[in-house]
Amino acid sequence: MTDHETLQSLLDKADVRQYDCYQCGKCSGGCPMADAMDFGPRGIMRCAQVGSLGRILGSSTIWLCTGCYACVDRCPHDVNVPALIEEARYEAARRGIGRHDSDVLNKVFVTNLKIFGRSHEMILAGLYNLLALKPAQDVAALPHMLAKGMIGIKPNVIEGNDELAEMMQRACDWDKLEEKK
Amino acid sequence: MIRYAYFPGCASESTALSTTLANEFVFGRIGVDLIEIKDWNCCGATSAHVLSEALGLALPARALARAEADWPELDVVTGCASCYARLKLTNHRVRQDGGTRYMVEKILGRPYAAKREVLNFLDVLSRDDVKANIEEALMRTFRGKLRVACYYGCLNIRPCEVTGAKDRENPVAMDEIARLAGAVPVDWGYKTECCGAAHQNDAALEARPLAGRILHNAKECGADVLLTACPMCQMNLEMRQAEYIRKNRDKAVGRQTFPLLDVVLPPPAGKTIPVLSITELLAIAMGAGGERLRMDAHHVPVGRVIADALRDDAETEVFL
Repeated sequence: MTDHETLQSLLDKADVRQYDCYQCGKCSGGCPMADAMDFGPRGIMRCAQVGSLGRILGSSTIWLCTGCYACVDRCPHDVNVPALIEEARYEAARRGIGRHDSDVLNKVFVTNLKIFGRSHEMILAGLYNLLALKPAQDVAALPHMLAKGMIGIKPNVIEGNDELAEMMQRACDWDKLEEKK
Repeated sequence: MIRYAYFPGCASESTALSTTLANEFVFGRIGVDLIEIKDWNCCGATSAHVLSEALGLALPARALARAEADWPELDVVTGCASCYARLKLTNHRVRQDGGTRYMVEKILGRPYAAKREVLNFLDVLSRDDVKANIEEALMRTFRGKLRVACYYGCLNIRPCEVTGAKDRENPVAMDEIARLAGAVPVDWGYKTECCGAAHQNDAALEARPLAGRILHNAKECGADVLLTACPMCQMNLEMRQAEYIRKNRDKAVGRQTFPLLDVVLPPPAGKTIPVLSITELLAIAMGAGGERLRMDAHHVPVGRVIADALRDDAETEVFL
């Protein structure tokens, strides 16, 4: 697939028509992360209009989007930018150009679920800090939370965690099958 | 008796200690029966759907399918905005799109028709009959002495196409509930702005200002307390206040910031703002004491503000 075709398939999957956007900028105006992003939501739409897939996939914007939906909610043409950003993240991951920190957090989170069935804050934050090389992040709150019993060592394991892990595997396999098609 | 299937969410078992106690207390008093979904699993929150679309839909669907099988006549309610968003979106997509339903049922290995609604606590507390019950259950009120900034968070409201929220820019549901308890909601600008969610972990540098701005505006607008309707927002807004405040101040005067100091030193006095959930506020007004609610678990002390607001109430013991 050429880049142009790939971009079109991402837009189709996200159900976004790039020329619906007339670059008014309400999305970037309301985006809470806009000042930290390189392009912002409006820039992403512009890239889509001029067929610049590489710029979208390499941008910090797709990894800094919090998914708060302020942009799509305020868009006069209902352009679903977060849906396009989500598809762009999948494509970036397929090409191995993901953002390290997000990737670590998400993978630790999902691995957590596969083992226990529920999120375990201690393991999540601990493993993340370790793997993302941020040993000091949020540790100031740790003594308080431990002392008050808000977080602990013992994980909550659900009864059906084996069945859940199998289900999660089926879901991931489903995505891979879709890609091959 | 009003009954709902209940999806507690992972935070209820850990960081949202006092909110969970308050939920139990309040819903017990107002005659709303929350039946926990059997063996519920995490909804995938902000992570699963970023890795895989199918996984992001299958995780909430598992819990929802269980609720549908066990209590086909009950709507599902959850107290966390992130859980709410994932559950509601899955419900919506399965309902709208036959292909998604086929995929989800294949992955789950059991039927799931998304027949019932997914609601958040604000939906439940805003029901007319529930409001009447709340008013009946109140033991003491704040009598206009507690100013609150109601923070809805993004995902309790958006995307409107999925949530069906009416007041998308200026929601008032929580303001009205707070008013029942005698608190005074202030007008402010960050009701539905995002707190940064998981980016407070994986993009801390970029996300910290999001929470900082919310707290700053609440304080500027004269709020004594920030009210939330989501344990994840609550943690994000409460846990790192020292960091946000110092960073804001240093930036304003053009001073070099020292991240390590921000983390280690306690927050500057008088600059912090306590963060309570809406159910905690109601629980206090319904007579629950600070010990019972484990208010000591809050990162920013709340006892003083609440005690001041309740002080001249002759009928109540001192909250502290």
